[in-house]
Amino acid sequence: MVELRENEIRILAALDKLNGEASIEQLMAECELSDSAAMRSALILQENNLAKIQAQPTTKIKLTSEGEIHAQNSLPERRLVNAVIALDGKATLADAAKKVGLEQQFIQIALGWTQRKKWAILDSKTGTLQVNSAPSEGSDEKLLSLLCGKEEIPIDKVPKELQTAIDPLKKRKAIIVEEKTQHSLQITKGGKKAIEGGAADLTVSKKEVTQLTPELIIKGGWRNVRFQKYNIQAPVANVWPGKKHPYLNFLDEVRAKLVTLGFKEMSGTVVETSFFNFDALYTPQDHPARELDGIYYIKEPQYGDINKYADTVKRVKETHENGDKTGSKGWGYKYSEEEARRLILRGHGTCLSARTLLSKNLEVPSRYFSIARVYRPEVVDRTHLSEFNQVEGIVIDEKLNLRDLLGVLGKFAKEIAGADKIRFKPDYFPFTEPSVELSAYKEGYGWVEFGGSGIFRPEVTQPLGVSVPVIAWGLGVDRLFMMRAGVKDIRGIFSQDLDWLRRKQVT
Amino acid sequence: MPTIDVDLAQFEKLLGKTYHGNMEKLDEDLAYVKSEVKGQNEKEGTVTIELKDTNRPDLWGVEGLARGLRCYLGLEKGLREYSLGEKALDIYVDPQLKNIRPYIGCSIVKNVHLTDTIIRGLMHLQDKLDQTYGRSRQKTSIGLYCLDLLKLPLYYTVAKPSDFSFVPLGFSEKMTLTEILQRHPKGQQYGHIVSKHPIYPLLLDSEDKVLSFPPIINSNDLGRVTEEAHNLLIEVTGTLHQTVLNALTLVTTALIDRGGKPFAATINYPQDEAYPQRTVLTPDFGSKHIQLNVEYTNRILGLQLTIKHIVELLLTAGLGVAAVNEDTVDVLVPCYRVDVMHQIDIVEDVAVAYGYNNIEPLWRDLPTTGSQKPQERLTNTARELMVGSGYQEILNNTLTNPESLFTKMNHKPTPTVEIANPKLVTMTCLRNWLLPSLIEFLSVNQSVEFPQKIFELGQVTLPNETQETKTKDEQWLAAATTHAYAGFSEVKACLDSLFGNMGVIWQIKPIVHPSFIEGRTGGVIVNAEEVGVVGEVNPLVLEAWKLENPLAAFEVNFERILELQRKNA
Repeated sequence: MVELRENEIRILAALDKLNGEASIEQLMAECELSDSAAMRSALILQENNLAKIQAQPTTKIKLTSEGEIHAQNSLPERRLVNAVIALDGKATLADAAKKVGLEQQFIQIALGWTQRKKWAILDSKTGTLQVNSAPSEGSDEKLLSLLCGKEEIPIDKVPKELQTAIDPLKKRKAIIVEEKTQHSLQITKGGKKAIEGGAADLTVSKKEVTQLTPELIIKGGWRNVRFQKYNIQAPVANVWPGKKHPYLNFLDEVRAKLVTLGFKEMSGTVVETSFFNFDALYTPQDHPARELDGIYYIKEPQYGDINKYADTVKRVKETHENGDKTGSKGWGYKYSEEEARRLILRGHGTCLSARTLLSKNLEVPSRYFSIARVYRPEVVDRTHLSEFNQVEGIVIDEKLNLRDLLGVLGKFAKEIAGADKIRFKPDYFPFTEPSVELSAYKEGYGWVEFGGSGIFRPEVTQPLGVSVPVIAWGLGVDRLFMMRAGVKDIRGIFSQDLDWLRRKQVT
Repeated sequence: MPTIDVDLAQFEKLLGKTYHGNMEKLDEDLAYVKSEVKGQNEKEGTVTIELKDTNRPDLWGVEGLARGLRCYLGLEKGLREYSLGEKALDIYVDPQLKNIRPYIGCSIVKNVHLTDTIIRGLMHLQDKLDQTYGRSRQKTSIGLYCLDLLKLPLYYTVAKPSDFSFVPLGFSEKMTLTEILQRHPKGQQYGHIVSKHPIYPLLLDSEDKVLSFPPIINSNDLGRVTEEAHNLLIEVTGTLHQTVLNALTLVTTALIDRGGKPFAATINYPQDEAYPQRTVLTPDFGSKHIQLNVEYTNRILGLQLTIKHIVELLLTAGLGVAAVNEDTVDVLVPCYRVDVMHQIDIVEDVAVAYGYNNIEPLWRDLPTTGSQKPQERLTNTARELMVGSGYQEILNNTLTNPESLFTKMNHKPTPTVEIANPKLVTMTCLRNWLLPSLIEFLSVNQSVEFPQKIFELGQVTLPNETQETKTKDEQWLAAATTHAYAGFSEVKACLDSLFGNMGVIWQIKPIVHPSFIEGRTGGVIVNAEEVGVVGEVNPLVLEAWKLENPLAAFEVNFERILELQRKNA
């Protein structure tokens, strides 16, 4: 049993009545359906194997708007000739045109055709036309009469004797010839059987609706309707969900990893004293990193307050000058407390570690980390930012040694970068000794410098009151993010490209 | 980090190893001395090498770099000793220099065969030492001369800036010291080092001919070195005695490595308490002794090295061993290793010689508990709620400028934290509110599909006298929506939903804010405290940023709201 809409049933019945085969036009007329409705029903019948659509390319001719004028009023040359005859067989062009009311744009055309068809004799001196007898109706005129009032006719329905008129009329832009596909429908055996079986085989389907409305649901009307099928392949409008920023999302991931590895998060201010950013980390006061192109200085006020660390400042000063009790010979210069108070924008996150080491709440053993916005007066380009984030921290325990240092880096390489292989190289930081650089290898990415680390020098830990080894580490998270996000230019981290953010996959 | 251009052929000759163009292998070897190949100029035959260790000036020239690497590659063992030749000259120091540039060191190296390449290498080393080790000539500056042109002894003396004149290097006319500071490029660059003094330093020979005007410029007559010179005089002046001696050692040893024969100079300082030693023989090639404790070494490295093994590794690292005791090694640190200040530096050399990759990494189980910053959880909740409301999170710089913060926001300037040495005109201060960052973001996305909804939960920094750093950082939250029908109720609804979900009870009261449209602006009140603003942005602001769609936004002091909420709880 097949369920059909009323339209299809009507078409099928009409088809049966028309001996099983009919053009769409015939069916449209028979069932009083529009072109598109009839065509849709035909498709549905075909889908159900009740009828078969046959497409036949046909050529049709139809009148143009100019052609329509000629079909109604006769061709201009005919009108001109008739006028001359009415004026006793001889008249000037102007008089004849006036007599018959020939439109301006047709006068020259009419004259031309009277000459070509040899319907009139033109005296070129006086400009008079002479017509001896009314010319008989030409095939072009017959064809126009045939087309008059009709939309179009297939070219093969044009009588043989009029075929020769098609081309000239086409050239005169009176008609156009169109290639069209003619659809016709042919009933199948199944269709025949179904229509003969009547109601037993066909049920009238329900009224078709586009939108399922609350009313249809509440009143139960949905049971008696049929839902129009959609073109589910049609493109739809964009939806841009709100998303977290990919880089911050990545940092969240790093943060979560570090927390599971037993690290506690530190925080601090972006404006810092030179004391914590440099001095406490055994960076001498005339170090190039402290020059105007190495660090941002604050304009006003220039100095911060380190009074409450007076004892520490004194120990740091002694250590810089002569090594104090650290066993070092120190840097051997005159330390300035004023310089220590200079306010700067922190150039690395290590100042947070220095503050943590000095804190009364420092625990041993412990692990700390920070995700810190840091600043450097760099010219911003593909590989440099003047403002970026650093992930770094410390591990503190009595038993720590170089093996732990390598172990911490190795753990990060595996857990955070998902590295397949790691490699260590000697490195240098003013505040650590020994210092190590870690390169991580990842299939598809190659070797990437992923982190740096070291054991804080005694000149750092002792003045801060810490007597156990402290491992300091930092991770090259920017490079890792760029690698994962396919960002080639470091400025992409702070990308202002909304379209990129919207399209960026959440990975 | 210092970067040097090294002539590859010269380097390979001094090193005693050829790389046949294999720069990867060279890079691998350079790791021993914390250096990397950064580039190669095959036409010039040079390699650019970056030296990560800013405290190892002995590696900043082709001679020192080769010397530093030879031991690690097994081509040499132990420290390289340099013996001081006979004394060949005296230098007399004027007492008036003690507050200007008190110290000088000097050496002579004879029988050096200079080529154009070697001279260029020397100039390169001299420049690196002046710039980095000498802190742009403040601490030390180096001068090289052709010995045969000079009449010994030398006088390190002073002159009045406007009284004394000579022809400076690169010029053909005599100029007074004042004119040199004004007109000579080096005078303009380094003049500030001496210009605060009434008299300037000067180095003269015994016929009163000028060698140089330290630390500014050599003389045109005596102060140039060419390939014809086989006997060189090197002098270093400066403000720290040890640094002066170190710089002298670094240049002199480089020339000795080139086959030169050294001679010493006696510096005769005036009788003054500023100078504890009246006479000093320079250069100083003496090795320093450092006691290396075996137990300490093993404790730091996590290894169980025997004392014999440690001695072997010390020699591989290019250090010397004076004596081996029961639990310590008396390590000899060569004169050119000016970086060593603690036995920890020796421990690292032992580790590098042992090979970092031969040490087994260890992840120790420590009873520590991880945790994120206390406010992090709620910050994250707020971000998730904003994302859920369809707002895209954005990330902006905190460095900005007053035009963006105020002028383009139709707002009077409020206090910001300003940078004394900005690098870019667009980055001169820290932001003290977020909305300008959001609007700037939107202004560069005008061709992207609308509606556009964005937010940032980020940091602002405000001046605050009561804090140690005279500033306070706060986490604020701002959101903006822009499209043809964006308006007040849309953004208020978003804020209401955010606060509702976070349990924040709030009120709104009409306020006037110049960045927003009057009558469509609300103050956000929590606990009777105004903590933010919500409204439709003033078309004046939209015009200033060239925005074509209406914009509604809110901005709240997120951190303060959490504080107030904790108080309530």
